[in-house]
Amino acid sequence: MARRADEEYDYLFKIVLIGDSGVGKSNLLSRFTRNEFCLESKSTIGVEFATRTLKVEGRIIKSQIWDTAGQERYRAITSAYYRGALGALLVYDVTKPISFENVSRWLKELRDHADSNIVIMLIGNKTDLKHLRAVATEDAQSYAEREGLSFIETSALEATNVEKAFQMNLSEIYRIISKKSLSSENPAPANIKEGNTLVVGAEEINTKKACCSAS
Amino acid sequence: MESKVVDENEEGPVVPMRVDRFGFVKQEHGPTEGLARSRSAFEYQRDERRIRKWRKMIGVGGSDWKQYVRRKPHVVKRRIRKGIPDCLRGLVWQLISGSRDLLLLNPGVYEQLIIYETSASELDIIRDISRTFPSHVFFQQRHGPGQRSLYNVLKAYSVFDRDVGYVQGMGFVAGLLLLYMSEEDAFWLLVALLKGAVHTPMEGMYLVGLPLVQQYLFQFDHLVKEHMPKLGEHFAQEMINPSMYASQWFITVFSYSFPFHLALRIWDVFLFEGVKVVFKVGLALLKYCHDDLVKLPFEKLIHALRNFPEDAMNPDILLPMAFSIKASPLSLSLSLPSPLLPCD
Repeated sequence: MARRADEEYDYLFKIVLIGDSGVGKSNLLSRFTRNEFCLESKSTIGVEFATRTLKVEGRIIKSQIWDTAGQERYRAITSAYYRGALGALLVYDVTKPISFENVSRWLKELRDHADSNIVIMLIGNKTDLKHLRAVATEDAQSYAEREGLSFIETSALEATNVEKAFQMNLSEIYRIISKKSLSSENPAPANIKEGNTLVVGAEEINTKKACCSAS
Repeated sequence: MESKVVDENEEGPVVPMRVDRFGFVKQEHGPTEGLARSRSAFEYQRDERRIRKWRKMIGVGGSDWKQYVRRKPHVVKRRIRKGIPDCLRGLVWQLISGSRDLLLLNPGVYEQLIIYETSASELDIIRDISRTFPSHVFFQQRHGPGQRSLYNVLKAYSVFDRDVGYVQGMGFVAGLLLLYMSEEDAFWLLVALLKGAVHTPMEGMYLVGLPLVQQYLFQFDHLVKEHMPKLGEHFAQEMINPSMYASQWFITVFSYSFPFHLALRIWDVFLFEGVKVVFKVGLALLKYCHDDLVKLPFEKLIHALRNFPEDAMNPDILLPMAFSIKASPLSLSLSLPSPLLPCD
């Protein structure tokens, strides 16, 4: 089966959106993939999925994004989606200190369930609620530096930095993968053996593409 | 479905809002779409006849119900599968779920839970209140009666059963019940469901680890392979598993994202016959769309599994199809291999 033009891409990256319930994960996703924001959104039950293809560092990258329910109990289902993810956007709400304090628990979750080389970005969302801000940018910034995460603040409502956040995460993944494929024999993240992901590293693109379209 | 436009003249000073017959605010579509289709005299008379039959079957305030069920269980089952008349739904749901008995056995308990107890889940519940049926008029108003009763029911349950507490998804179940009965009645129906007054207890769906959700997804996967081998094979090839599309079906019993008139018809049967109907409706949906689904690649599949076409969601087509599916007792008795292998 021939792949249609709109499905052509150089790389396919799987990303997960995690963080406490109510911090705005689903709206970040809808803003990024459909440029929509829903004031009356429902809480996410289980997982949601969306994709967007965009140009990063001159390459066409398709991002497959899994948006997960934030409540702790749902990790029984959602943590399976960390496996094989190349990137994680760890979101907190700048107006809810507790959601920032829980970031360390989410990092532990990733360490326990995700690939060790997953590229993590810390995102402070809801910057539009200026008068309610309760987490200082500097605190989050220095926390991110200590933990080796990249960091950005966003507003899904005002569409501030949302594009940039995803772009940064995707280019970081791209840089790591392209560097690895230059310098190593066996560069791809260890995810091909993981049954239920479609994530591919640099080398597997062609075979995987063929496999995807051979239905 | 029939739907009506709220008469703007009757709304007084309030901003007129277009809602469907269940109270959900309608999306702003073209002016012609969704306008009231007046019910024919025939339909009206048929409905009136049905309601009379149901009233007779129930008796005043439900007094004849138990006897009728004992005498003619098949008649009851058949009538419930055709749909409980909307005006009697709340009462019948309480009768068939066993919640009415719980209410009578536990006078004052609900009030106690609401007034005197505090719950560790209060903040979690508040956070989700405005995110539960946000497009329904009853739940839209901030701190309005709908949101208050939803909060009360969920808080009361989280105190009543501290092991379960509050889990996202329960709000949709409680919200659906509250559209048909009082707070206290809704609370006891929630208790009847989770504690298994009549059928398998649902609480395992919300306990730590969501063990029952995992089991149901595992069983559903098997049933898909058994009933639709070609689709099962295709899912396996595309690495699609039920947790990607069916968790909500089980956790909220189709109340999260399905058309409300369909959800209600499923709930009628669910309360009388148990969780089996959730499996069957899920299988029927896949069956109805089978020929399209087997052609789709991963991403389009996921999209299709979350956006079934309107004709697939017509209860008068989907439900008979669901009832005709014989879910083998073998598949339904399958349990998860241990250790738990979520998702694979």
